[in-house]
Amino acid sequence: MAGRLPACVIDVGTGYTKLGFANNKEPQFIIPSAIAIKETAKVGDQSSRRLCKGVEDLDFFIGDEAFDATGYAIKYPVRHGLVEDWDLMERFLEQCIFKYLRAEPEDHYFLLTEPPLNTPENREYTAEIMFESFNVPGLYIAVQAVLALAASWISRSINDRTLTGIVIDSGDGVTHVIPVAEGYVIGSCIKHIPIAGRNITYFIQSLLREREIGIPPEQSLETAKAIKERYSYICPDIAKEFAKYDSDPAKWMKTYDGINSVTKNPFRVDVGYERFLGPEIFFHPEFSNPDFTIPISQIVDDVIQNCPIDVRRPLYSNIVLSGGSTMFKDFGRRLQRDIKRTVDARLKLSEALAGGGLTPKPIDVQVISHHMQRYAVWFGGSMLASTPEFYTVCHTKAAYEEYGPSICRHSPVFSTMT
Amino acid sequence: MILLEINNRLVEETLTLKIKNAQAGLKNESIDVTVADFDGVLYHISNVNGDKSKIRVSIALKFYKELQEHGADELLKREYGSFLTSPEDNFNVSLVLNLEDIPKNWPEVVKKFGLLKRNCFASVFEKYFDFQEKGDEGQKRAVINYRDDETLYVEAKSDRVTVVFSTRFRDENDVVIGKVFMQELKEGLRASHTAPPVLFSHREPPRELQNTNAVVDNNVGYVTFVLFPRHTARNTRDNTINLIHMFRHYLHYHIKCSKAYIHSRMRAKTSEFLKVLNRARPENKTTDKKTITGRTFIRRD
Amino acid sequence: MSATLKPYLSAVRHTLTAAMCLEDFSSQRVERHNKPEVEVRSNKELLLTPVVISRNDKERVLIESSINSVRISISVKQADEIEKILCKKFMRFMMMRAENFIVLRRKPVDGYDISFLITNFHTEQMYKHKLVDFVINFMEEIDKEISEMKLAVNARARIVSEEFLKRF
Repeated sequence: MAGRLPACVIDVGTGYTKLGFANNKEPQFIIPSAIAIKETAKVGDQSSRRLCKGVEDLDFFIGDEAFDATGYAIKYPVRHGLVEDWDLMERFLEQCIFKYLRAEPEDHYFLLTEPPLNTPENREYTAEIMFESFNVPGLYIAVQAVLALAASWISRSINDRTLTGIVIDSGDGVTHVIPVAEGYVIGSCIKHIPIAGRNITYFIQSLLREREIGIPPEQSLETAKAIKERYSYICPDIAKEFAKYDSDPAKWMKTYDGINSVTKNPFRVDVGYERFLGPEIFFHPEFSNPDFTIPISQIVDDVIQNCPIDVRRPLYSNIVLSGGSTMFKDFGRRLQRDIKRTVDARLKLSEALAGGGLTPKPIDVQVISHHMQRYAVWFGGSMLASTPEFYTVCHTKAAYEEYGPSICRHSPVFSTMT
Repeated sequence: MILLEINNRLVEETLTLKIKNAQAGLKNESIDVTVADFDGVLYHISNVNGDKSKIRVSIALKFYKELQEHGADELLKREYGSFLTSPEDNFNVSLVLNLEDIPKNWPEVVKKFGLLKRNCFASVFEKYFDFQEKGDEGQKRAVINYRDDETLYVEAKSDRVTVVFSTRFRDENDVVIGKVFMQELKEGLRASHTAPPVLFSHREPPRELQNTNAVVDNNVGYVTFVLFPRHTARNTRDNTINLIHMFRHYLHYHIKCSKAYIHSRMRAKTSEFLKVLNRARPENKTTDKKTITGRTFIRRD
Repeated sequence: MSATLKPYLSAVRHTLTAAMCLEDFSSQRVERHNKPEVEVRSNKELLLTPVVISRNDKERVLIESSINSVRISISVKQADEIEKILCKKFMRFMMMRAENFIVLRRKPVDGYDISFLITNFHTEQMYKHKLVDFVINFMEEIDKEISEMKLAVNARARIVSEEFLKRF
């Protein structure tokens, strides 16, 4: 496809939006999915209150600029991976395209992402915005999990490239465990875990609140987040880890230095157990959420056991991590160990029940980490959108005009990929 | 954001990051990024022959040949001087930044790199502004096919420079909204006395272009700016160029924003209608309760 | 202008109230099926004579009733090009969300901009007079909204072009 402009790949997540042009290795922009708008004090419900006579609706900032703007209210149009406020979403995309990517949307194909189990209506609304407001020539709405699977190919040899696997996608808002068989999501077996990056931050924040008094209250979330991103890791065993810290605090305790944004005075925070306790809530969710007590490894195992029997083995051998909250050191290793334990125990049990007459073939459990993990979804999208096949699977504007938004209810799978 | 930015944020941010990293003494990492800009422009940021300390920024414009006729090369030489290098294959202009020898005024240099596209465009305007200044009327009209089916015409008279944009609306509905916008542009003179007069015609090209092969089509609009010496004077011309070369995108951007605005109005109204309809439904809602430990309270009966 | 609006709306209101006498009616063709007769038109006996109420040549309402369902089609005023596309966009927008609207038909009847289909199941679940209120409210608001949208687009265009020209 010589002479064609690269497609735009936009992955709008709950916490961060990744955007860039296809065929690049990294997203060109990673901005918070936040939008700062002027709010009026008018009465009435939200949507009618926002309407205005002039061009006030162009007066807004997105991403990092949203936080710098004073006198604006910060909103997040995406919640739990799903778009909640379409007005803001449309405006968010407006600036993504015109200010950040600087692309004339009429010239570029677009690849957007959606969470698994996105409603068909939401997909139609996305198509409506893209085709009607922005006149894009072609649009593909890809499931994030499938893109994450595709992204994991970079760490494997060509022959191992498969679109069957289980994706653990953990961003800021929610964690999904998504089984995918040959490019199709097994929707009935998806599980959501209400533990993700933000919960870890809150948990660390609450730990710090009990102990550290020097943190300015309005910066406590920020501090917790920075500590999470900088110092947290996953330990093999909490009891031993506690002992390790107690025996040699100097080696394990860290300090975090911050600056009070108001007084400009520096403050210092000791970072102790929260280094490993924070991310530990994946494996011991009861620490932070009394409604939910099943560890992530258990959930992954459950999900696989729910899937059709013929895909279970391939699923066990291809557990792919994606999203920022899976970046904790040793996350993959711990997960693999825990799942392996469950699986081995089950095999042992069945062997015992068979009275030794039957030895099951051991199950290969493999959790795959790779260096594109953080932007796995975006990277997968960028990879796919640079193939010539992308242009054949896109929904075109002509088709949209002919049949309406319902065309987007179906997304063809890339066939040459497998 | 009412006006579009003229600089390329991506190029600037990439370079700034590189320079800051280099200044902080970090190891230079290799880079290979291809990004697009308006008007089908492609930027390629990469290393020269694998040398990680040299960053090359190349730009490809489909209509660079046409710009070259109007002295783009000279203008770029003036603006970028020593940063210029022989163009990369498939690209028209390449600039090189050496991370081992970062100029002191690097924020300015980075800014300049971000304006590469604008400066390519500037040549044709500057040339004709000069013609006007000298009163040179005999020059033939410049024709730049800045997009596949959209063209820019520049013509100089002794007392004015006329710039004509032809723009194509891909969508039937856009034509209507576009017409509203162009009508208002024509009347915009009331708002500002320093503004150039604007004319527009839909379908038919304006009289100046009658005998050219300008397209006649229902989806085509022509916008004519008449720039007077006060716009083309040395101290104002940069501003004029900044504005005018982005005009096409400005128009289309706002047409799109208007549609987004209409969408949000429709959303508001639709939810209002829904509320009225739901009044017809007798219904009682249940709310979920939580116990003191935070566990959700579910009645099992 | 508004002098004709009131009688127009009250005529629609009364006709609708009268037409909304619906009862459960099983299909005569297919066993254990229940279909809106105004749509399937299987038997002439079950259909009533449709009524058209016009305010002028552009604005009119068609009310077709039958034993178990009534169909209301509305033609909205469209004075110029821009109102036409705004109306088209808006109706399409609403019909895409027909799922939530329950009484909205996904496609308008030929010659009209938008249609509602009210069946006996709707009148059983919802207050009849409120349903009529909804239709009347819709007719009132839609004209207002479209002209307001048009004004807003014009205002935007003016601000945007002035903003551009001011910079010179």
